[in-house]
Amino acid sequence: MEINRRDFLQIAVALGIFGATGTNLFAGEAGKERIKNMSFSDIVSFEPKGKVTLLHICDMHAHLKPLYWREPSTLISADTLVGTPGFICGESFENYYGIEAGSLDQYFDTHGNFEMLATKFGKMGGVAHMKTVIEHIRKERGANNVLLLDSGDTWQGTAVALKTGGEAIVDAQNYLGVDVMVGHWEFTYGKERVMELIKMFKGEFISQNVIDNDPFSDTFEETIFPPYTIKEVGGAKIGIIGQSFPFTSTANPKKYTEGWSFALRHESLQEYVDMLRGEKKVDAVVVLSHDGFSVDQELAKKVNGIDFILSGHTHDPSPKPIIVNNTVILIAGSHGKYVGRLDLDIKDKKVAGYSFKLIPIASNLIPADKAGEELVEKWYKPYNEELNEVLGTTKGLLYKRDTFYSTFDALIGEAIMDAMKSDIVFTPGYRWGTTLLGGDQILKDNVYEMTAITYPEVYTFDLKGEAIAKLMEDIADNVFNPNPLLQQGGDMSRLTGASYTIKIAAPSGKRISDFIISGKPLDPKKTYRVSSWGGNLQNAGENLAKETPAVYEVVSDYIRKKKVIDIQMTSNVKILDYDCGCPKAGAKC
Amino acid sequence: MIQRRNFLKGLGIVVATAIAGTPALLNAAEEKAKAPKGPNEFSYDMAIAAITSGKAIETSDKIDLVVPEIAENGAVVPVKVTVNHPMEESNYIKAIHILAKENNNVRCADVMLTPMSGKAYFATRIKLGKTQDVVALVETSTGNFIMTAKSVKVTIGGCG
Repeated sequence: MEINRRDFLQIAVALGIFGATGTNLFAGEAGKERIKNMSFSDIVSFEPKGKVTLLHICDMHAHLKPLYWREPSTLISADTLVGTPGFICGESFENYYGIEAGSLDQYFDTHGNFEMLATKFGKMGGVAHMKTVIEHIRKERGANNVLLLDSGDTWQGTAVALKTGGEAIVDAQNYLGVDVMVGHWEFTYGKERVMELIKMFKGEFISQNVIDNDPFSDTFEETIFPPYTIKEVGGAKIGIIGQSFPFTSTANPKKYTEGWSFALRHESLQEYVDMLRGEKKVDAVVVLSHDGFSVDQELAKKVNGIDFILSGHTHDPSPKPIIVNNTVILIAGSHGKYVGRLDLDIKDKKVAGYSFKLIPIASNLIPADKAGEELVEKWYKPYNEELNEVLGTTKGLLYKRDTFYSTFDALIGEAIMDAMKSDIVFTPGYRWGTTLLGGDQILKDNVYEMTAITYPEVYTFDLKGEAIAKLMEDIADNVFNPNPLLQQGGDMSRLTGASYTIKIAAPSGKRISDFIISGKPLDPKKTYRVSSWGGNLQNAGENLAKETPAVYEVVSDYIRKKKVIDIQMTSNVKILDYDCGCPKAGAKC
Repeated sequence: MIQRRNFLKGLGIVVATAIAGTPALLNAAEEKAKAPKGPNEFSYDMAIAAITSGKAIETSDKIDLVVPEIAENGAVVPVKVTVNHPMEESNYIKAIHILAKENNNVRCADVMLTPMSGKAYFATRIKLGKTQDVVALVETSTGNFIMTAKSVKVTIGGCG
């Protein structure tokens, strides 16, 4: 395994970037020199291996344009999981992978020095920049020796995706040359639209774990999509099996996938692995997955004979592979921040060696492909007037990722509370969104980046205190269950108008204490007015308000009204088990 | 997977009965002896005792119980039981019982088999009120009881 990115960063270190937190390492002439020294060729440098290259992207969330994306400053889980890949952030991430402060890696992989590094390194991702890297590799390796695999969560997440019913993003995938994909948020366009988009998509949509659930259908219990595909590339036969998100029907509204059943289905996965190896005589078995990084580490224990799992869903950047039961597991961050490159050396009908690197898509250092810029322009043009509206400005950092509290979500909650006059607001703990720097203008496009879903209704309803407490425990168990197979890979729902204390290690149903609503302890018998969006909570409520405005309009109206947004960085959740947001292995801070 | 579908089509009538209400398949005499007053008053232990008459039960990996880790919909949770056991005149699987430990009515399905069944296999959907263990309890024609259990999480869901 080669990690050449480290090498070039060591050069940066040698040049004198020693990271005292908070100091501007790139100030003055010397700082400019350092940035100048990092070039496109450093970013794509790679020691090739064998003849086959698999390129991997995941969780782009429809970001055609570059963006800022800050990784979490709190990523808490069960004490047996924290400090392991999938549950490390900030300093624990830097220690685990040997990342230097002030480096491009720190900027891409952690929240450390984020605002300072953002002004120096600029935005991340964007299809025009991704394309330059992908084409560079296709040219180097020969186009017929390269596959581009997409782990899903690609069609949803921005205004252009929502307004074109996903078409703009499929167009971008075709432009990038995506060969194979699986899905999750893709399904929230509904079954019919999914099938239309798959027709437009020039690659293959595969999944072994989505099956027909209608007992009266002729295809009862058969897979909805082709379960696998076999690609002949670089003289080798690569079998690729698809895993879409196993919990789509509980995490997202059931109505979009009525009649389809989602689950992990590791038993049938094993059958496909065996069949590809035996009957189909492939040289390597790859699982293209949207299970989540930690779930795939468990899956690899249950299923034998998988060479590589290209994972997705949990948005983890993983600079080094994880190896479980001889299966190599890789994941490539989110929001188009990285393209993963995996070179395979196939000898005697099996994988003899590989090398891997996560290539950071640093838009200031990677030239944009012209056709890509035109594609983005074409899809944005009809909506530019609406999306470029300046709603207001933010004083501080607006970000999304964190286990409990994030400033952009706090803004959304504030806006909903103001509009709906509710006591408490639930905002979903999705892991997609955007980041704005202090002083930035807030565009309507940015609000969509946080809220662009096909079910944007803000529901307002009555819930008893005891029901609220039970719901929060239920959500906490989905996030903190020590068994990754029982987690759903998101973060805690965010609360506005409330605060609480949590003990992660407490048994299911007993984690939360000191629950305060509107400044007073939660009264189990009292009826509270609750607003929520993006989930199923309204189903548990009574006296549902007729008015269900779209969340992006509620938030936009609020910012227009306030003009200047000033959200505090302090969390409303107190964690009893940990003294820091990014614990190391052994749950140490 | 096609074989399984055809097989299920053959089993269609049995499956439909099980969904409509399991008591139709109960052994009436056994039921009468141990039945509590109300239809929903079974405790798990009482239900087990009613089936086994207090005989010992061995946990066995011969039973393949397939349930989802997390239920997509608590109202219709698919359950499949396959017992790796001969189905011969002298030695066969006589009954497959499916129980949900924490439901008000813990006995979800009782299926009687004969060697003519060909295979000790049963699939149905059950209702689960909350996160709990689903149990497959199997009786052999020689009067032995074996079982296996798996936890199914029932959640309102939430995160994407």
